[in-house]
Amino acid sequence: MSFPPSVLLEGAILGLDYGLLAVGLVLIYRTSRVVNFAQGQLGVVAAVFLVKLFYDFGFNYWVALVISVALAAAVGALSELVLRRLFNRPRVMVMVATIGLSQVLYLFTIFPFIRPKKLYRAFPVPISWTFHVGTFLFSPGDVLTLIVAPVVVLALAAFIRFSSWGLAMRAMAENAESARLSGIWVRRTSTVAWTLAGALSAVTAVLASPSQTSALTDVLSPDLLLLALLAALIGGMVSLPVAFIAGIGVGVVLDLLQWNITNPSTGSATVELILFLLLLAALLVRAASLQKGTRVGEKSSWAMGTAAFRRSGDALRQKVGRSGVGITLVVVACLPLFVGVGHSFLMSQICIYGVIALSLTVLTGWSGQVSLGQFGFVAVGADIAAHIGSGIPLILLLPVAGAATALVSVLVGLTALRIRGLYLAVSTLGFALFMQTSVLATPCFTLPLIHKTICSGLPNPESTLISRPSFFGLNLNSESAFAWFSLGVLVLSVLMVRVWRDKGVARRLIAVRDNEVAAGSAGIPVVRTKLLAFALSGFMAGYAGVCLAFATERFSTDTFAPTFSILVVSMVVIGGLDSIPGALLGALYLEGLPAIFGSTPTVEFLTSGAGLLAFILYLPGGMAQLLHQLGDLVTAGVEQLRARRSGVPPGDPTAVADAGPAADPVDPHRGRSPAGAGTLTMADP
Amino acid sequence: MTDTAPAVAAPPPSGRRSEVDDPDAPKKSPARLDINELVVAYGGLKAVAGVSMAVEPGSIVGLIGANGSGKTTLLDAVSGLVPLAGGTLHLDGQDLSDYIPEERARLGLVRSFQDCRLYPELSVEDTLMLCEDARRRVSVLATTLQMPWARRAERQKRQAIDRVIGSFGLERFRLHSTAHLSTGTRRVVDLASIVLANPRLLLLDEPTAGIAQREAEAFIPLLQRLHQVTDATILIVEHDVPLVFELCSKVVVMQTGEVVAAGTPDEVRRDPQALAAYLGASDEAINVSGPVPAASGPAPSDSGNPPAEPG
Repeated sequence: MSFPPSVLLEGAILGLDYGLLAVGLVLIYRTSRVVNFAQGQLGVVAAVFLVKLFYDFGFNYWVALVISVALAAAVGALSELVLRRLFNRPRVMVMVATIGLSQVLYLFTIFPFIRPKKLYRAFPVPISWTFHVGTFLFSPGDVLTLIVAPVVVLALAAFIRFSSWGLAMRAMAENAESARLSGIWVRRTSTVAWTLAGALSAVTAVLASPSQTSALTDVLSPDLLLLALLAALIGGMVSLPVAFIAGIGVGVVLDLLQWNITNPSTGSATVELILFLLLLAALLVRAASLQKGTRVGEKSSWAMGTAAFRRSGDALRQKVGRSGVGITLVVVACLPLFVGVGHSFLMSQICIYGVIALSLTVLTGWSGQVSLGQFGFVAVGADIAAHIGSGIPLILLLPVAGAATALVSVLVGLTALRIRGLYLAVSTLGFALFMQTSVLATPCFTLPLIHKTICSGLPNPESTLISRPSFFGLNLNSESAFAWFSLGVLVLSVLMVRVWRDKGVARRLIAVRDNEVAAGSAGIPVVRTKLLAFALSGFMAGYAGVCLAFATERFSTDTFAPTFSILVVSMVVIGGLDSIPGALLGALYLEGLPAIFGSTPTVEFLTSGAGLLAFILYLPGGMAQLLHQLGDLVTAGVEQLRARRSGVPPGDPTAVADAGPAADPVDPHRGRSPAGAGTLTMADP
Repeated sequence: MTDTAPAVAAPPPSGRRSEVDDPDAPKKSPARLDINELVVAYGGLKAVAGVSMAVEPGSIVGLIGANGSGKTTLLDAVSGLVPLAGGTLHLDGQDLSDYIPEERARLGLVRSFQDCRLYPELSVEDTLMLCEDARRRVSVLATTLQMPWARRAERQKRQAIDRVIGSFGLERFRLHSTAHLSTGTRRVVDLASIVLANPRLLLLDEPTAGIAQREAEAFIPLLQRLHQVTDATILIVEHDVPLVFELCSKVVVMQTGEVVAAGTPDEVRRDPQALAAYLGASDEAINVSGPVPAASGPAPSDSGNPPAEPG
């Protein structure tokens, strides 16, 4: 392994950006206990605005810089004010909210008053110094990074070390509740942290932009965020200096690896593999210390209060629900007869996304394992379809792909035995990225020691073409036929998940999620139950992947980008985390709405980002909650109608008693009850 | 609802539920627990420092001591939640060291937790079904495909919990998630799941914690009844000294990880070391709950709803 010294410096300059981003992540994590997925996007808004001020309005660079950094700081503070409503919510929800936030921030960059007229222009740099190391020319942007990044981090470190705000932040990192009780203004401190993080992110983006050639909005993309996360994790999500230095280290390692690449297609796959392994190692090594303080937070009720209305015993209410489902099903099944090819295709997409969302309901909603990498599992299924899809009948392919994906999923799940919550989310995101850029992108590779060639990737990573098989004589080549097929798969999936929910699988998963210790002591095998969730979820994602592959017919590695995994998380959160109809509604909302309003990125991001935030903030039960309320309304209407017909006044006491158990979920003791219920008695069994 | 003591019905003339609908289950008898020189260490601190005791089959043994004396840690060690730094545990002569918690549960070792948090998002019904799940496993594949035996097992489980829900008066709360229940009702659910778990050795960790004094008194006959119904050996950690003295045939006093006194309630009550360690010099501590009737508790006519939160 030989390299010129310039590679080291080049890597270090890249690494300075990762380090800055990592410092921002740590800053937010220390005060809000959340991995801020909007950390990159906060600054991108500022960087875009800087270009606008500089070129369109002809501002002096420094004035423009100050204004943009101030803008990012303000946006950071504003974000905190929005997320503050979630102060007492599970941290995982807040993390999903930051994903929504980052999507809303993306919208900012395309608003006319922020977006510059010409996007593809050289990013302004205030200096023109350059220097050579060997034959390599370092640009003014590199020089700027070398000077500014260390200064900014030192200033921040000094602020945290010596100011009272810094002391408050450190206290909050240790124990927010105690800090609060001893008079620290927790929320205001957290606003300060977000303001700082916003400014820091702006500096990062301004420093990183000159070296980018692509559109500005891509400057701090998810994979870059993942690199920063890696650095932050090495710093244990607490130490600013370690995170910063680790960021530089990550940059150097990455650059060295890339320098030594001889074959560009397999080489980048190797880099991704190494990064993924590094990430896993950092997570596993840090697992113990990372989770020291988080267990208390995770003790709080995990889901969002949907369980209370999951099953009411009222027969009429059930009847209303069933008729609703029946009518919907009939209408949807008839749709392909009346709509065009495009909409039939869309219907297939929605159905398949529905299945993927359901797989996440099982894993995240019930088992509490946050997966940001569901499309990694979908990719496994699609990959299997690409390899053996033409060889075996579809009816066999679906369960085979499902089972194989379940196996992969269990392997990923093994990490979940050590890490969970936010960290599991990070590792699954890493997995999805690894699947996309490493496994799928490498058609064939040779094992180093035994010289055996394995062809596990997509046959053609850029564009793999597969043809739809027939299904029991039904030719799936027409879009309407495939729409029916997808609907069938979805209906079967729903039935399967319903069985899991009602017949004993879900309660085991939820029990282990809610109280691992008690479940173990009660004789529920904890480890096996956790892995079971991964297996079930992977199974569904796997056969959904087969369906997705056949639906699109032509796909590339980009079909399985991590952004889709995040889209699925949004679906489940918008729909209602542990609700079956919720997952379907979420898929309909996020896949269907864009189709109605045109499938531009703007609409897509608006429906997911803004919608996601709004749902988390104002409708914790998701769309399922709305649906349930609708059902209750209809039931009440029907009841009234019946009462009017039979001549009994609507205030009939028996009708009230019917609604018994669900009548007062908050304080059951206030409800009327048969004498002696709930007492400490123990009659003969 | 009035805040009065519970009614305790007469013991069943014959046949516990396990014998009725679970003919495959081995005929169970109360277990014997032998603790020998048990040591549990957290870092350098010995939370349990060489405790030995024998818990006779069918007895109720009370474990008392100040906070931090190692009582709960001892229960954790017996149920397998903390690793042993030394000593042995034998259940009916069988070394427990190779059994993880869920396997110990299958041996009939059941425990309740001090916080009694249960599973916040599960309904009462599901919480109880879970106990049945642990005892009778059905494979996920069979459940998914709704095989006849899976349906039958689920039906039988439901019948079993229906009986328990009925006898504990939990019908009204059946579909409530446990997070929405008051502490007292949650304790009742916990006791109901204990009955379902069909224990041979029952570890109770402060069953009256978080319950008003008057309601705690009501627990004595309830626990006696629980002892009768489950026919299990009981090891109970409790701060309510009168309750322990009333209930237990043997009392063990712990201090800083060691046993300082053990014996019948009368012996312990007179033991100077026990008094110094925990009970205090005056009789006041011993009589917190006031004199307790020796018989089967207050009359059933007083029956009300003690577990409900006052007010």
